[in-house]
Amino acid sequence: MSAVLRVLRYIGPKLAQFVFVVLATYTVVFLLITFLPGDPLLAALASKSGGDTIVDPEALDRLREQYGLAGTPWDQYWHRLGMLFAGDLGISIATGRPVGDMIARTLPNSVEIAMIALVIAIVIAAVFAFLAFLAPVRWLRNALLQIPPFGVAIPAFLTGLLLISFFSFTLGWLPSSGSRQPGSAILPAITLALPVGAILFQVFSAAVFEAQASQHVFTAVAKGVPPRRIFTAHLLRNALLPTITILGLTIGYLAAGTAVVETVFSRDGIGRMTVNAVLARDINVIQGIVLMIAAVYAAVNLVVDLAYGVIDPRTRRSGRLGRQRARVESTQEANA
Amino acid sequence: MNISTRHASARWAAALGVAALGAGLMAGCSAGDGGKGADGEAKDALYIAVQDDPVCLDPQQVTLTTALNIGRQLVDSLVDQDPETGEIVPWVAKSYQANDNLTEFTFTLRDDVTFSDDTPLTAETVKTNFDALAALGSTAALASQYLAGYQGTEVVDASTVKVSFGEPNAQFLQGASTITLGLLSDASAVMPADQRCQTPVGSGPFVLDTYTSNDSVVLTARNGYDWGSELRTHTGDATIKTITFAVTPEPGVRTGGLQTGEFDMILDLPAADEKRFGTDEFTIYARANPGIPHSLVPNTERPIVSDPAVREAMILATDRAEISELTGSSKVPPATGVLSSATPSFLSQKDALAYDLKGAEKILDDAGWAVGSDGVREKDGEKLSVSVTAFYGQDVLEATQAQLAKAGINLKINMVTAGDFFGAVASKDFDFLGAGLTRTDPDVLRVMFSAASAARWAVVGDTELETQLATQAETADPAARADILDDAQKRIIDDAFLVPLLEVAQVHASQQGVSGVEFDSSSRIILYDVTVKG
Repeated sequence: MSAVLRVLRYIGPKLAQFVFVVLATYTVVFLLITFLPGDPLLAALASKSGGDTIVDPEALDRLREQYGLAGTPWDQYWHRLGMLFAGDLGISIATGRPVGDMIARTLPNSVEIAMIALVIAIVIAAVFAFLAFLAPVRWLRNALLQIPPFGVAIPAFLTGLLLISFFSFTLGWLPSSGSRQPGSAILPAITLALPVGAILFQVFSAAVFEAQASQHVFTAVAKGVPPRRIFTAHLLRNALLPTITILGLTIGYLAAGTAVVETVFSRDGIGRMTVNAVLARDINVIQGIVLMIAAVYAAVNLVVDLAYGVIDPRTRRSGRLGRQRARVESTQEANA
Repeated sequence: MNISTRHASARWAAALGVAALGAGLMAGCSAGDGGKGADGEAKDALYIAVQDDPVCLDPQQVTLTTALNIGRQLVDSLVDQDPETGEIVPWVAKSYQANDNLTEFTFTLRDDVTFSDDTPLTAETVKTNFDALAALGSTAALASQYLAGYQGTEVVDASTVKVSFGEPNAQFLQGASTITLGLLSDASAVMPADQRCQTPVGSGPFVLDTYTSNDSVVLTARNGYDWGSELRTHTGDATIKTITFAVTPEPGVRTGGLQTGEFDMILDLPAADEKRFGTDEFTIYARANPGIPHSLVPNTERPIVSDPAVREAMILATDRAEISELTGSSKVPPATGVLSSATPSFLSQKDALAYDLKGAEKILDDAGWAVGSDGVREKDGEKLSVSVTAFYGQDVLEATQAQLAKAGINLKINMVTAGDFFGAVASKDFDFLGAGLTRTDPDVLRVMFSAASAARWAVVGDTELETQLATQAETADPAARADILDDAQKRIIDDAFLVPLLEVAQVHASQQGVSGVEFDSSSRIILYDVTVKG
């Protein structure tokens, strides 16, 4: 019983935080799309009909009703919130399709490249950090440590085009665009992984070198423990905590990155849908996507919070007892 | 760092090797060759890269060029139009007739046409289609303009229909040849608008196989198709078996894919790449959009724009040859009229539209616009400064801006979203609009200039032009109508009601082995006759 309570006390505030993030996002997005100048209905219609758009006030009013754009902002705010709780994201003005269906269609495509990208990014970060750790001479280590700013500085747009022209157009190894052929997820995933991997590497390597300076590593080196064993057993776990924190934040970066990558590689996905929706001012779609990303973001950070407990037992205990114990331990550590 | 240096070096090299190997393996997962045949061998698949996602595939609702290009392969129209001569020829209707004041059109249909769901195309189908379109209203923006004043369709007998309008409709017969009035099966036509977008069923030479949003549209050839119009070069089934339209928004990827053979053909070739694909290995296809060229469309209710001298000077001070060279396709001539050269009844006004900076300066001097200290002219303390509202074609407007500045006219460019553009049209809140309007019939002049038109852009308030535009719309005799249209085109330039800038062209490119790609009269592509050699 008390165990359940303890878990609840640990998770409860984090869940409340999750709900708050999503609600706040909804409110901010609503305010933005409501008070931006211009008529979203006209914008979406014009994006569909181009030069042949007909501007007929009566027809516009009818459509406003149909897409849930009628009434005062106050009414709309609560109406849309009600729909949201019922799991209804509304209908896209530009395509006429339910927003929920559109997200369900595109999300798997984006998640696919985002997950592959994340794995590649983690591998890049780990491999480079390990190489830098092993680097026999100072200049080599410094050179390796300079890679991440470089990785972040190159826009994904450029990396993507360079990868396409090399691997697709010159070597012919991988398809240049679409998701129709096997292997088509590889180039976009690499493009997306480079900047993310660079950020992870920076945090991870900093943590590794910090841990390396600690006394227990000094002891391990003195005992003659092989470098690889030092890296895996003594450094990795210590360096994981800050890295995991950054991992939660990279979700936002991945979501933004897909917009560029999916356009360059002509793939269907959340990012491309967002770009189209913004261009058409398709507010129902914009709101749906932002809410979805906010929810994913909040959920990942919730998981990250919970993961702290697994990686670092000291953060697991909650309540007065736990805190006391943690304090005692840290005092002991300080004394030792 | 007390780690042995020799050991570390060896490990470092080994780790580097593993990393390199991993990267190599990842890259080594090579793609298939896309089912391409050996050199010189005929292939039955066509792979086309297109710029935009079609979003909706119902040919009757869409206006996006990509969607129309796909839709053309799916549906047949009542009649066809020769893109060279503008002549209307039979297609699904084996004969047609209009009454004298263009309010009634009678079509006699072929009796062997079926849809891909095996239902026959009958007089009832035509009625169902037009009635459904009339009910859709502005959801089918273009179709509703072709059907302006629609009263109803009468089924005279199983193969004869009579379409009636409450007012003369000069563009209907031409409209009946377009993709927009292409016929859908009875079952498709009565579906709600959103559903029709996903699974349109037509009688065309190709059938929709799959549509994956933002990715691709795959069409397969229809078995037993045998009712192409006389403008097609062969009869029977389409020559190729499948067409894949790959949605590829990035122009560099489209051109790169064409270069390496990943794509057989690409639509919307950027003007800058025309030279690169001008070799024997590739074929470039170009045709100007019919209708009104990319132009400055005036609102003469605005103070400075209301001055005819200013508008006249603007026409003379624009160098259309230079605009075309800077921003347009080298395959299409500069604009020389208020209609594009691909429009029936086009009247070339080359002389009136010739570049004449001196002439422009003189007109402005005479009208009292004197050059100010900053190079911009002014009169009674008011600067000669006007704005243009546009949602595309910024490069064209920038070229114009630089040219007008030489004559002391300050053109401010106001780039907005498409929605705000039409907001400005509706509220007449603009000096000039910067845009063109694609229509296959010269009636486009009425659509843009007549105060009575639902899709009116220009605000000119000229009764004589209004009368001319109304009269041409109800004149059935082609010669008489052409005369009126000539007068209207002259009047528009004489009174400077339009500053034409650039003929916008459809420019596509293919491998040299692709042949048989044709443009229809609205400059959309027809792929029925296409053959592909590897």
